[in-house]
Amino acid sequence: MISWNAILAIAYKEFVHVWRDRRVVLLIVVLPPFFTFLFGHAFENSTIRDVPAMYFDADHSKESQQFLDLLKAKDTFDWMPWRGDPEGKVELFPAQVQAAIVIPHGWGRGLIEGEPLSIRAVLDGTDTNTAPSVQGELQETLGNYQSKQRDNLIENLPDEIIDLGKQLPVEIRHEFSSMMTPWDVKTEIRYNPKLSFIDYVMPGIVGLILQLLTVTLIASTVTREREVGTLSQLLVTPLRQSEIVIGKVLPYLVISMFLIASTIAVGSLHFGVKFAEPLLLSLTCFLFLLFSLGLGLLISVFSRTQTQAIQFSIFFLLPVMLLSGAFAPLNQLPRPVRMCSELFPLTHFCRAFRNVNLHRAHISPIAGDLLFLGIGTVVTCVCAAFLLRSIDE
Amino acid sequence: MTVRRGEIFGFLGANGAGKTTTIRMLCGLTKPTSGTGSIAGLDIWKDRFRIRSRFGYVPQKFSLYSDLTVIENLRFFGEAYGVPRGKILDRINKVLCDMDLELREGERAGRLSGGYKQLLAISCALIHEPTLLFLDEPTAGLDPTHRQQIWDLLYEFSQQGTTIFVTTHYMDEAERCTDVAFIDRGRLIGEGSPRDLKESLTGHILELQVEPAMTAMFEFRKLDGVYGADLRSGNLRIRVEDPDALLRSWQNHWPFPKLKFLGYSWVEPDMEDVFQAYSQGYYRQRRDQREPAEVGRNL
Repeated sequence: MISWNAILAIAYKEFVHVWRDRRVVLLIVVLPPFFTFLFGHAFENSTIRDVPAMYFDADHSKESQQFLDLLKAKDTFDWMPWRGDPEGKVELFPAQVQAAIVIPHGWGRGLIEGEPLSIRAVLDGTDTNTAPSVQGELQETLGNYQSKQRDNLIENLPDEIIDLGKQLPVEIRHEFSSMMTPWDVKTEIRYNPKLSFIDYVMPGIVGLILQLLTVTLIASTVTREREVGTLSQLLVTPLRQSEIVIGKVLPYLVISMFLIASTIAVGSLHFGVKFAEPLLLSLTCFLFLLFSLGLGLLISVFSRTQTQAIQFSIFFLLPVMLLSGAFAPLNQLPRPVRMCSELFPLTHFCRAFRNVNLHRAHISPIAGDLLFLGIGTVVTCVCAAFLLRSIDE
Repeated sequence: MTVRRGEIFGFLGANGAGKTTTIRMLCGLTKPTSGTGSIAGLDIWKDRFRIRSRFGYVPQKFSLYSDLTVIENLRFFGEAYGVPRGKILDRINKVLCDMDLELREGERAGRLSGGYKQLLAISCALIHEPTLLFLDEPTAGLDPTHRQQIWDLLYEFSQQGTTIFVTTHYMDEAERCTDVAFIDRGRLIGEGSPRDLKESLTGHILELQVEPAMTAMFEFRKLDGVYGADLRSGNLRIRVEDPDALLRSWQNHWPFPKLKFLGYSWVEPDMEDVFQAYSQGYYRQRRDQREPAEVGRNL
């Protein structure tokens, strides 16, 4: 038996607190779209490009030139003139590059004479992502060059050889021609056919911004009242704890719905991310915001000062940012850590959002996530109401 | 300790004596560690949710929303106390008028001066027309005009039948209460009407004309059997366990060669004397007859 008049009175008062604090208004109106814009551009592409690299061609042959031309056509590298002594030890860092290749003297001739030499590549392993992809890129380019050369070779085989070949047993001929054609995988990419990373990462960006804002905004509401002394005033009124909790969550729910809409608008209008199933996505957002607000309120009720509340929020948000799978898939994490991630609202939000938006899932595949968000809301709000009851400082 | 309906009950004690804690216990904000209390027959802890709508509480520290205006604060507390929608505007207007706050209704509470803040705090505690009002040092730090104004208001509410429970450490304010109680380190040490309490001290307060008075004050404070020595209008007022014995001894021998004894008179004790006497424990007849912490039986 709760009174909506009482709840609305609290909600209105909370809203006025936010509205009259013009700095906070500025913060919540400007920052979420701006951050979406910024993070969106930051994570627009996931491929590695413009790696500073240098080459030294000791061979000066036609072959080395052809291979280098193939390499230079790639976006992956940003080629620079060779710095340092090509004969001695290759130092990447002083030369300000992350990769260096040396084509040895006699490389081209070696290819022709059936004794291929290795190309020497030196890679910077500090950043664990760049070295393997640069290596892959080099290997792939070399493979392409090799198959091109092989095609040339077969093309230019004299007729006598072809005739000679025809005398071979048919099985061997078939096997041979199979060896001479590249074996292929026919790939069909579903759900995000253009492999556009922005489509994958958008729920992470939106969720992370909202997670931060909801928790920090609501975290200081109860502690502020505790510090100023109005909490005692509130608690000597006949207001119930449940009314106080609902009244406090309500205005922040409205505000954060507006904020999530503004970030999604930037995602849609500026980055061209398509949003499917508006009803299901709205429900996901709604439950996610409720759970986040419940958590923020719990922090607020638990803390004794606003400073503490902000400190608790930051320490709660830190693992959320890193472990919730907002920017990278969760299956990279070890299993025990993943179980920890499952406790965060953002994890469930990102998964449900992606399942709906990219996998075009309907309610049943995301029901578990929605249920978790719903239960989280109830648990945090009930705990907050209960803690509000223990009022002794 | 019992507070009767319609009384202005002064709850006195030094800083740290436990006045605020007592009020918070009465309001159901702090759980009593021992003892019991009741308001209108309802237990102050077990029934705290039921009695909340019956009283108003003005805490010591200004505790309203400083970013809301005067009228917004009143409306919020009115709604929080469950004042019906239709009546709320009438109540606000009445309180604004009673409290002389009409001209400031649109101002933010945080920008009001100390006196008006206190008036607003009382207004918010009265918005639901409670029959009992707790005020924790309502006049601390206010100028004499606002103090007077607040006391006039308290008289008015009392006239209308509201019971007022007020803490203070201003002794002139204690005189204005119908009944007072003293506490010291959480224990009740004296209780009664100001007149009864003062009468209980009659014959104990001596005013001496001595020169130089300041030196005399320090000398007397060192004497055995003297519980207090203070200057009042150039005379030395002393509280003594057995003043007759002291006077008799002086007829034989004046023990202070440096001081000139000019005369003495018996004086009426004031509340300051009463407070000092009770808090120094030298007047203890009544304390032992009473049970501590029996609060608010008949409100």
